[in-house]
Amino acid sequence: MRDETPQAQRQCRECRHFRNDAKYLETAFMGLTSLSSGYGSVRSDDGICVRHDRYLSARSSCPDFSLPAAHVDAGEI
Amino acid sequence: MTNIDTEFPRESIAAPPLRWRELWLKEDWWAIWLGLGIVVVAYVFFANGASIRWIAVTPAKWSTLSQLGAHFAANYVRYIAQFVAWLAVFSIALTALGHKAREFIPSFIVLYVLSVIIFALGQWDKANTYNLEPPLVALVLGLLLSNVVGLPRWLDAGFRVEFYIKTGIVLLGATLPFTLIIWAGPVAILQASIVSIVTFQVIYWVGVKLGLDRRLAATLGAGGAVCGVSAAIAISGAVGGKKEDAPIAITVVIIWAIAMIFVLPFVAQYLHLPAGVGGAWIGTSEFADAAGFAAAQTYGNIASSGAVAGTSDQSVFAYTLVKVVGRDVWIGIWAFVLAIIATTQWERTETGRKPEAAEIWWRFPKFVIGFLVASLIITLVTTSYSLADFNKSVVPTLVAPIKDLRTWAFIFCFLSIGLTTRFRELAGAGKKPFLAFSAGAVVNVIIGFILSAIVFAAHWENLVR
Repeated sequence: MRDETPQAQRQCRECRHFRNDAKYLETAFMGLTSLSSGYGSVRSDDGICVRHDRYLSARSSCPDFSLPAAHVDAGEI
Repeated sequence: MTNIDTEFPRESIAAPPLRWRELWLKEDWWAIWLGLGIVVVAYVFFANGASIRWIAVTPAKWSTLSQLGAHFAANYVRYIAQFVAWLAVFSIALTALGHKAREFIPSFIVLYVLSVIIFALGQWDKANTYNLEPPLVALVLGLLLSNVVGLPRWLDAGFRVEFYIKTGIVLLGATLPFTLIIWAGPVAILQASIVSIVTFQVIYWVGVKLGLDRRLAATLGAGGAVCGVSAAIAISGAVGGKKEDAPIAITVVIIWAIAMIFVLPFVAQYLHLPAGVGGAWIGTSEFADAAGFAAAQTYGNIASSGAVAGTSDQSVFAYTLVKVVGRDVWIGIWAFVLAIIATTQWERTETGRKPEAAEIWWRFPKFVIGFLVASLIITLVTTSYSLADFNKSVVPTLVAPIKDLRTWAFIFCFLSIGLTTRFRELAGAGKKPFLAFSAGAVVNVIIGFILSAIVFAAHWENLVR
């Protein structure tokens, strides 16, 4: 699903495929809390793109950007 | 569907930009508020002729169980007060960060009780004879409980390794003269920079030669060269690594870091390195702050027992200068430079991202600001005291209680490392990433030794004399 949102708003931060909540990351990255944390400054606001399985800055973007919608494809993650 | 899918519903987990909200939504800032809050309260008491010593209670030295029992019988109210104070401030901070108080509170009770036992054991007059250093005991006990006995996952709510170590580092700043940071900082930065750059190059080069993706090689390189897991995830995000890169780096860093906690202090002791030299070597050889502090504190305790020359402070201060001032603060620059390389050389269009210099600030480990400010505050307010007066009145009523609270924060951290490290749950790292990282770790240890024990030996040996 392509989105027609203006380029300035097409950052991963606004995308429905992006997950950067600290608790989510601590669950996704097993062992993260042993010697680090999802709540630290060094992580900035990076998160996981569940569409491309990449760990990205929230300021990244790509042609598959999609705004959150009420109905999302099943089996995406 | 995996567990993570059911635990985190879709479209509710992309956090909006933090901006000023970072001041209460990042643990670095909470470590600053708590650490500096304690320092300011300690100074207010001191300035009014009192001290926070009462609440900064620690187990006394003992040789018989009856002595230990008498200590707790006489001071249990102080321990309860201290527990309540820690619980209150940590609960406020962690609740603001989004944790649940109902999970944190029982978890912290477990943590505090175990910490009291470990602290008391470390005060046994035979503890050094049996190598019962509190950091090592905390780590081993934690690892046994999490890997052999098994603990429910919800208990992890109170085992916040990074939060405790950052709070401890801010408190440590209050015990380290600012003039010492100015005097010893440049050498620490020079030494750490040499080691960091060489270590990164080795891991990256070996990784690429072994066929690893350049982004994974860079993630591993930063993990070994800068600040362990924190650096690895920072660089993985900056270069747009694959989702599995960070967990691979986490696994190899944890294995190496924990092994080094047990190896470095005793190798340093075997080589009769003075406390300051040993601390500097640990600072250049350990990757993660928390693990390194466990090793440096252990070596400081070894020095306190008289087994090597120097003092406990020399080991911890040298470690802090090399690791925190020399390595940690540069993570933003590493991320910015590698983001430029990744977006201009490795993949020009994939992530559609333009690196920004502001990233240096976004990723700056802010707790270091608290460390420096704490040092500056105590240095300024005590500048009019002669050395004799400082040692006679300032140390016992102002500096020593802050140091004791710092020790508590470190024990919470060391214990939490063990309690949260479940080896079975770590991602499989694979042979190639492990080999690449190990190559850098070995070079790291060798160069760190040459710089600490030969090139700058006199500098580190005479630290705080």
